[in-house]
Formats: sequence, C-alpha cells, structure tokens
Amino acid sequence: MDLDNNLLMSIGVYGSAIGLILIGLYAVLIKKHLTKIVIGLSIIDAGIHLLFIAIGYISGGTAPIFSPAGEKIVANGGIMVDPVPQALVLTAIVIGFAVTAVALSLVIRLYRHHHTARIDQIKSLKW
Amino acid sequence: MVVSPVHYIAVPLMAAFLIPLFAKISKELVRIVPGLVIGYLSVVSVILMTQVVNTGQPIVEVIAGWNPPWGINLVFSAFTGFLATLMTFMAFLIWIYSYRFKKVDDAVAQKYFILFMMLVTGSIGIVLTGDIFNLFVFMEITAIAAYSLTAFYRDRDGAEAGFKYLLIGSFASALMLLAIVLLYTQVGTLNMAEIALRMHTVPQAMKITIFTLFAVGLGIEAEMFPLNGWAPDAYSQSPGPIGVTFAALVVKAGVYSLIRVIFTLFDIHGAYEFLIIMGIITMVIAEISALKQTDLKRMLAYSSIGQMGFVLIAFGIGTNEAVFGALFLMFNHAVIKGLLFMSGSYLVYNTPSKEIKDMAGIGKKLPMVSLFFALGALAIVGLPPFSGFWSKLYILMAAADASFYYLMGTILIVSIIEIVYYFRVMGRLYFGKPQNDVVLQKPTFGGILSMSVLAVVIIAVGFHPDLVSGFIQSAADTLLDKAGYIHSILPNADLTNL
Repeated sequence: MDLDNNLLMSIGVYGSAIGLILIGLYAVLIKKHLTKIVIGLSIIDAGIHLLFIAIGYISGGTAPIFSPAGEKIVANGGIMVDPVPQALVLTAIVIGFAVTAVALSLVIRLYRHHHTARIDQIKSLKW
Repeated sequence: MVVSPVHYIAVPLMAAFLIPLFAKISKELVRIVPGLVIGYLSVVSVILMTQVVNTGQPIVEVIAGWNPPWGINLVFSAFTGFLATLMTFMAFLIWIYSYRFKKVDDAVAQKYFILFMMLVTGSIGIVLTGDIFNLFVFMEITAIAAYSLTAFYRDRDGAEAGFKYLLIGSFASALMLLAIVLLYTQVGTLNMAEIALRMHTVPQAMKITIFTLFAVGLGIEAEMFPLNGWAPDAYSQSPGPIGVTFAALVVKAGVYSLIRVIFTLFDIHGAYEFLIIMGIITMVIAEISALKQTDLKRMLAYSSIGQMGFVLIAFGIGTNEAVFGALFLMFNHAVIKGLLFMSGSYLVYNTPSKEIKDMAGIGKKLPMVSLFFALGALAIVGLPPFSGFWSKLYILMAAADASFYYLMGTILIVSIIEIVYYFRVMGRLYFGKPQNDVVLQKPTFGGILSMSVLAVVIIAVGFHPDLVSGFIQSAADTLLDKAGYIHSILPNADLTNL
C-alpha cells in the first residue's frame, strides 16, 4: 500500500511537470497575445523546475542541512534529499524572473508603439 | 601581482554594478571605468597566457575551496585562454570605439556600459567555466544583456528585434535547462570533466535525447540554421558597437559551448556529420540570403551567420588540421567582422536609410571609413594578402586531406557568392554617384583608432600567420585532448573507460 502511494505520488509529480511544460509550449506556439506568450515561457520554466525538484527528492529524506542535528539523523540511518537540484532551481527561478521582467518591459514598449499587443497585428514583426 | 582566471568574472561584474555610483562622482568616469577594467583584463590575459604557454599546463581555478567535482571550477587552458584573450582584446577595442560613439550620449551611457560589461562577463564566463550549470548561468547573463542592448534604441524596430531575440533565446535556455536536468539524472554530476568521464554509462537513446536538446539550445546562440532568425534583426537594430560585440564575443561563446558539448562531453557517432550537415545548410542559406539583402547591416549579419556555418563545417571535419582552421577562422571572423561592423556603422549613419543603394559615392566623402570597409571585405572573402586567406586555405586543405571533396566544392561556390555581394557594396561605395556632399557623422578619434588597430592586425597576420598560428595550434591540440582536459581537473580520475 505504501509503495502504491509512492508510485501514485511520482506519477502525479512527474505528470504535472510534463503537463506544465506542454501547457507552456501550447501558449508560446499558439497564443497571439504577447503577454500570454511571456506567461507561457514562465510556465515552461515552472514545469522544468518542478521536474528537477522531483528528481532530487528521495522518499523519506529530510532537509539537507549540514548541522549537528542533520548529522545525527544520518548517523541514525536517516537519509537526506539531494541538495543540488534545489540550489540549481533557486538559481533558475531568479534567472527566469529576470527574463520575464525584461520580456514584459519589451511588451509594454511594443504596446506603446503599436497600440496593440497581438502578435498578428504587429505586421513588421517578420520571421 | 596575483592574477587568476576568476578576475575575468569578478572584476567586470563588480564594475558593472558600481557604475551608477561612479556616475554620481563624475559623468566621465562612467566611460573611463569600463576601459580601465577591460584594460586590466587584457593585462591578466597576457600574464595568464604566458604562464600557460610556458608551463604547458592549464590553470584550474577552484572557487570557494570546493575541489572539483563538487565545486565550480574555472579552466584557463591553451584553448579557453586563447578565446578569452581574443574576447578581452576585442572588448577593449569595442570600448575605444564606443567611447564617444554618436548615439551613446551621456544620458544613456551609464546603461550602455553596464550592459556592455555584463555582456563581456557572460561571454568570457561561458568560455572559462568547467561546470555545465554555471555555463547556463553565464549564458543567461549574456542573453539578458544582449536582449536589452538589442532594444537599446527606444524605437519600434528595436523593441521588436529585442522581443524576437528574447522569445527565441528564452525558449533555447528552457531547452538547455531541460538538457541539464536530464544529464544530471543520468550522471549525477555537473562538472564537465566528470560528465565526460561517466558518459559511457548513459544509454544511447538518452544520450541522443540530451544531445538534441543541447544542440537546439546552444545552436540558437551559435547562429545555427534554422535557429538564427533573431540574428539579422538583432545585428541591424542594436547600436553599432553592439553588433561588433555580438560577432566577436556572443556568437564565439555560443560556438564554444556547442563545440565543448560535442568534443568533450559526448562521444556520439554521427555528431561530427551532424555538424557538417548543419554547417553546410547554415552557410549556403545564409550566404544566399545575404546576396538578396538591401540593408547593409542585415547583409553583414547574414554573412556572419554564413561564417559560423563555415566554422561548424570545419569543426565537423574533426581532424587536428581542420580544428586549427576552424579556430583560425574564429579569430579572423572576430577581427574582420569587427572591422566591417565598425566601418559599416559609420556608412549607415551617413545614409538617409540603411540601404546599400543609398551609399553610392560615399568612398569620396568618407575615405578612411570606406577604405577600412573595403579592407575588411577583401579580407573576409579570403583574398591572399589578408588574414582571411589563411583560415580558408587551412580548412580547404583539411577537407582535402579528409577526402571531403563535395565540401571543398560547396565552400568554393559559396565563396563566389560572398565575393559578389561584398564587391557590389564596394562598387557602390567607390564608383557610385554621390547624392550630396553632406557628411552627417564623421568617425570619432576612438573609432579611427580601433579600426586602424584591427586593419593592422588583419594585414600583419596576413603576411605573418605564424604571429598567431602557434597559439591556435596549441589551442587546437588542447581541444582535441579530452583525456588531458579531464586529467587537469580531476588528477586522480580513471581514464580507461573513455
């Protein structure tokens, strides 16, 4: 029963990570509104972050803090989750925040010049 | 004086964020400080490069006392050091060029130089780092600075080019992050040397998936077809000196990371053929697009993409000789395309539009600038007395030695296309009828100085290729020596499984 719960948990977490990536891709590729495209990019990032955190999690592990209390847990046979993905995701979140800020400021500037934020009405935006 | 590779990242990044404080003291300091910083980095480059050449050993800098594979390390080898030195010197010339550049007036100089310093930090960081996630972080630093600089002029086209670049760029970085995540699940490390060491344990299907994600993510920065849609707009909308920075620093860093992933991290059969095929497609399509451009900067941008395709082909041949040619071409492209963009910017400012047809007769109005442009055009198509000739010759010889005769044919045909569109511009410059005699924007002293230095380098290397070929040869040897790279970072590693 315990194993089944873990399995369900994994499927849920990995499934929602992949789901988020796909939703983001859909928004970036199909949506015409610039703000929605930017939101889509953020959703892709969120999906990848969730995937990374899920990979670093070890079921039953505690917080990876290097302290006397942490050492005691490990000495008593406890396990810690992998700290590397968490550190990396924190960095990636900050980067994603910066990119989103730049993107939104560009959207505002485009809106001021074109008086629309729909990509199909900005004619000179040729690929 | 104690110098170390970490100065490349710490000093310019700190200076970038201190610039607003300097601006409070004096407006002029905003312009002077970046020059001092990049000048200092040039000195660091010379010292470190001498050290590497004398000892024959790469300098491995361990950050914060965490030894590899746990901590982040910086590797200044003959290969990465060569690229870092090239980038530093180009950045210094770009600083001289943009010191009194027309459109960088006092109000915006502060923003311009902050972003420029971040661009330099990021590009050099990509080359020096030995950690795959750190490479991603530097790529993002470069990218965010590059998006902002593309949209630097607050006009409509600038914002569009910037947004287009941002859309493609952040999509690329998402793919690259996904590739790093998958790679971490397979090998459990982020250190590039240890990844290379453990790569044989990864299943083939997973390896190809990760490689594809990397190729797409990095191919965008390296201007690989069909991911280079951002480049022509970014080059033509960004300020003149930033076009030079894209060609000399950002794209070099992109090609470097692609090459590092293929040569050191992965050992996939077919990766080299992949490079050759992508290189040919990139080169042919870019050169044909360049031929039909009417806008000078877009033409130069497509030519730049074509040259990067050429570099990818040369790396794809994969022999020592070919890698030597490819690195020589990267050096030449930085110097020559730098000169072309610098002189091209002044040509563009002296025409009512950016169109080539409006540049008729400018050779008589702006003799110096036109001469520099003509010199760059002759050098980049590979005519004998200039440096561009040698790189093309070495790559053709390498292709012949590896029996890639169809490659030689393609390269030569594309060279003819190149000659046609460059000579078309030169013909307009010198033999066209001038529309008026008004010189809108004379080149500044700094502009003339930096262009002269580049012109002297092109001619000097053209007559004496051995001025740089020693460095390039040891860079090529270092790149191909995968075991040596791993050994220099992890001295106790077991190399039998490579």
